[in-house]
Amino acid sequence: MSTHYTVTATPQAEESGSVALAVASLPASYGPVAAGEAARISALDGAAGWTAEAIKAIDGGASGIVVVNPVPENTAALLNAAEARGVAVVLDQRWASNPGLAGAEDAVRTVAGRAAMLDTVATAAAGADPERLLTEHLAAVVRVTGQLDALRVLHRGTHGYTVSARLANGAPVSLQGVLSNSRPAGVDFRLYTDDGAVSIAVPEPLAAWPAEVRATGPQGEILLPTVYESAHRTTWRRLKEHLDAGTLPSDLVGFARLTESIAHLS
Amino acid sequence: MSSHSQATSLGSPQPLGVGILGAGPVTQAIHLPSLARLRNILEVRHIMDVDAVVAESVAARVGANHSTSMDALLGDPDVDIVAICSPHQFHADQVIAACRAGKKAVLCEKPFAMSGEEAARISAVSEETGVPIIVGAMHTFDPGWLAAEGNWGDLPENVHTIRSSIVLPPNARFEDFATEIITRPAGGTPDYSDIEVIKNALRGGIMGLAIHDLPLVRRFTPDFEDLEVLQARHVRPFGYVISLRSGKQGAGDRIIELRAAMNKTWKPEWVFEAISDDAALRMDFTPSYVQAGSAVATITRGSTSTTYGPFEHNGYEGEWRELAQLALGTKQPPSAESLINDLTFAIAIADATVDVAAAEHANSHAGAHS
Repeated sequence: MSTHYTVTATPQAEESGSVALAVASLPASYGPVAAGEAARISALDGAAGWTAEAIKAIDGGASGIVVVNPVPENTAALLNAAEARGVAVVLDQRWASNPGLAGAEDAVRTVAGRAAMLDTVATAAAGADPERLLTEHLAAVVRVTGQLDALRVLHRGTHGYTVSARLANGAPVSLQGVLSNSRPAGVDFRLYTDDGAVSIAVPEPLAAWPAEVRATGPQGEILLPTVYESAHRTTWRRLKEHLDAGTLPSDLVGFARLTESIAHLS
Repeated sequence: MSSHSQATSLGSPQPLGVGILGAGPVTQAIHLPSLARLRNILEVRHIMDVDAVVAESVAARVGANHSTSMDALLGDPDVDIVAICSPHQFHADQVIAACRAGKKAVLCEKPFAMSGEEAARISAVSEETGVPIIVGAMHTFDPGWLAAEGNWGDLPENVHTIRSSIVLPPNARFEDFATEIITRPAGGTPDYSDIEVIKNALRGGIMGLAIHDLPLVRRFTPDFEDLEVLQARHVRPFGYVISLRSGKQGAGDRIIELRAAMNKTWKPEWVFEAISDDAALRMDFTPSYVQAGSAVATITRGSTSTTYGPFEHNGYEGEWRELAQLALGTKQPPSAESLINDLTFAIAIADATVDVAAAEHANSHAGAHS
């Protein structure tokens, strides 16, 4: 029988991470903490200063931490604290945490050596912070491509950005951010090869809309099995798996690389 | 001689006679099938190609005269409308000759000239002779585009982002669905380490492929003379990643993203988007060559989308319908200024793109040896 974990969330994390909904959808694993007791799991918002907040939660005895939409920040101290105390820290990232990306990683890796071009567009509402959009966008992209070479901002402004990069085989990469209320928020990812493509459409985590991953080759097009689970719920399920198995997730290590990439862009 | 006069019923108006300069795959797979759908208004009467065998063979398919010289076609009194489908470098002189031959209308495949000077010469002759000219930028004649144009309201004034994304299988895939091709240009094996190859590929990509969408881009780009190339990269085997900014930064500037990949895929995608804070246009065009109907236009305002199309004919057929109207004098021709501006825009992008690619190559070359 697996352990049942109590959860507490900051109001900001609750709002950005729909924590109550995600926890309610995993009732055998999680539940609210009783008044006056310390929760075993803390959910934090990823606004600036989140690493310090996470360290405080570890010091307060948390067994696991969920950070919703973290902004780039030095994670070294947090990583040390988490490893020293055996605390699982998972990141609930807007698009990178979508469960459909697991299949997408395989689909992309299979053809990456033959890539001719990667064109990806992230859309968010008009007035959103383009810097934050770029972080969320890049996190989703590098999850399926691995690290990108020669990242360079070509333009950034109030309506979006264009960033160029290269895949490992030298193929051009273009990341574009668009701020508009007339395109659905999400990430569109198209990797073209010599004879086909992999396309990925990642929706918002607000609902259990599935990512759509399509692999196109000479024999036709395959829609990978759709996963009707929101990125939020996936994150919480993943945390539970780590807690039960006693393993530490690699989220912070990956996020440190992302932070470094973003820092070099600025 | 063709038998057009015998084929026309008594009392019905004569179809207009069409002569085509150049009988390559575009003529065979695009124009002849389009014209076959418009036999009540247009009739192919003369096919010219420098290859006599090709000219005769293609002409025989439609019962037309054939020749190997432009003068023979322009001197054919049965030809009312001239379509110029020859290699790019001949376009300007042939357009001018067709105007001077007193034809009723001229269609010139894009680009209609390779320099601003050529374009100005064409404009002057068109004005002098009164012969209307249209350029074969087929998407501007697509009923889906025309429907969007009638319904997009103030979108052109408010757009901040424009995207053209083209993914195409090899032309042969669609040519073979459209007709039975008798000639194809030979392919080569380019040396991608040679910057001249890359420069030619980028220029060819813009003047041969992007140019289909550049008149659409220009509709949303008021300051089209103020262009900055943010990146210009070649995509193998043929394609491009080009980012542009038009206008002054922060003062109503537009970001223009052009993408193209021609590979061995079977799946075509041809999407044009114009996006503002509160509205967006998306055009999904059908592939060239096949008669797959019009584009579908989707205009979104907030979370409400309205779709226009698909309509039953594409932009190529739209071009021919327009030509017939121009030749009959029932429609006003596009302004010469608009055609020149479209061309100037394309040439400016091509020139700047090639310059940027060359500079980046030089920098990387210097870096590799430093």
